[in-house]
Amino acid sequence: MTQKTGGPTRKRFLVQPVMLRVVVGLIPCLVGAVVFFGLRPLVVIGVVLATGILAEAAFTLRQGKPVTSAVLVSCLIYALSLPPTVPLWIAAVGIAFGIVFGKMAFGGFGYNIYNPAMVGRCFVYISFPLALTAGWVHPFSSLGQGLTSWLPPVDAVTAATPLRVIHEGQSVPLLPLIWGNISGSMGETSAVLIALGGAYILYKKAAPWRLAIGCLLGAFLASSIFYIMRIPRIPHPLTFMMAGSLLFGAFFVVTEPISGPKTKPAQWIYGTAIGALTIVLRRWSNFPEGIMFSVLFMNTFVPLLDRAVQNAQKRRALKGNPS
Amino acid sequence: MAKIRTRTFFRKGVWEENPVFRQILGICSALAVTNLMTNTLIMGLGLIFVTAMSSATVSALRKITPERTRMMVQVLIIASYVMMVDIFLKAYLPDISEALGPYVGLIITNCIIMGRCEGFARNNPVWPAFLDGVASGVGYALVLLVIATVRELLGFGTLFGMHVMPSGWVPWTIMIMAPAGFFMLALFIWVAYELEYKKTQPSHGDK
Repeated sequence: MTQKTGGPTRKRFLVQPVMLRVVVGLIPCLVGAVVFFGLRPLVVIGVVLATGILAEAAFTLRQGKPVTSAVLVSCLIYALSLPPTVPLWIAAVGIAFGIVFGKMAFGGFGYNIYNPAMVGRCFVYISFPLALTAGWVHPFSSLGQGLTSWLPPVDAVTAATPLRVIHEGQSVPLLPLIWGNISGSMGETSAVLIALGGAYILYKKAAPWRLAIGCLLGAFLASSIFYIMRIPRIPHPLTFMMAGSLLFGAFFVVTEPISGPKTKPAQWIYGTAIGALTIVLRRWSNFPEGIMFSVLFMNTFVPLLDRAVQNAQKRRALKGNPS
Repeated sequence: MAKIRTRTFFRKGVWEENPVFRQILGICSALAVTNLMTNTLIMGLGLIFVTAMSSATVSALRKITPERTRMMVQVLIIASYVMMVDIFLKAYLPDISEALGPYVGLIITNCIIMGRCEGFARNNPVWPAFLDGVASGVGYALVLLVIATVRELLGFGTLFGMHVMPSGWVPWTIMIMAPAGFFMLALFIWVAYELEYKKTQPSHGDK
């Protein structure tokens, strides 16, 4: 899919090995989406990729710059974070907004403050709450059915996601969360597949591991503390971390290299803060999921964190030298 | 002669020195009232009235206004016109007055008016000052109307309260919230600068 859409613009296309590795890391989730939710996810991803690349090309080609492979990553992450029944035009509007306002408005690749995929998702999530939260479906129960069908039966359209169930104060079993046999966004349902892809990109150093681990650590600490404090509607930390898009976010969203911090201590702070904030938002905000908001929120502080760390290091060096 | 000058005033007020996207003035109200076109239109008309009348009045009083207290005098003049608009709206258009909320009263703090009084009306005769005020107000109102058109069209599927979009239209909830005001204003400024850039760089385009 990526090669097909990247093909015609190859000459004007900047190949970034790091970004392509992230694309490879996303493939398990992509396969999972097809297996669980039928062939429609492929069409959604196709539409998103086409729109995203066109949106970026509309800016870069005029300036004589190439389209970067980073846009493929943004598009895939954005597409996989949508529910499988999302109307195609909404998917297209979101990614166009994410690329234009999240990335090109700031000057294109390398200059974006916010994660373009999350900007796009935030835009459609707030604009079309019904289309994006009522459209969850149960995945196919038998394996392989997804390869031949369009979508799971429509009568399951209002299936609540595990996080919604938790938000309402009930408990969910852990095992389906791990295998992915749950309703949810296209790419985020199976913990195993996400971990597989995530392990690949961490192993290939396509993503700073501190960010991913920091995020998981922060989420685990926060949910453990709340769990021990016996705050109602906080499930077992492990369940809470497997549900929703926390894993997907930790491996693929938080680790986005451009909008994330560059210095090591800042990466730890950034990662753990996102993880902890996600848990807080899940429990106390009106939305069942919080990773998108916490990533955007912490993106804002990245330059500040980086500068504070650099200043502290400089001060320490100055203090160390004379004495 | 006079006609050409009128045209220059309007070219300056509406485009070259447009208060909103050139001078980035009056942004608060531009963000706040642009989700419905009717409200925006009323707000724009109110601002045109206040800017024009206070410019004219400041200009008429310019020779007898002491230099030291001129700001206070200007504020008093502006405030009295704003009160007029506010009372008028409350009496004849109570719904819109309610919808605009504090923003009518806040016209008084709108930098556009103060800017025109200080920058132009203080040193110029009444008629040019009046025209200058109208032109600036029109520039403000036009920008707001363009933004409001997009926001109301996408956010409600209506224009001036009339349904224009097909019945299956899904409203873009974010368009009627404050963030969309920021996006649309930024987009507008962006496009306007792009157009201006093309105009000033003739070699850029191919004829």
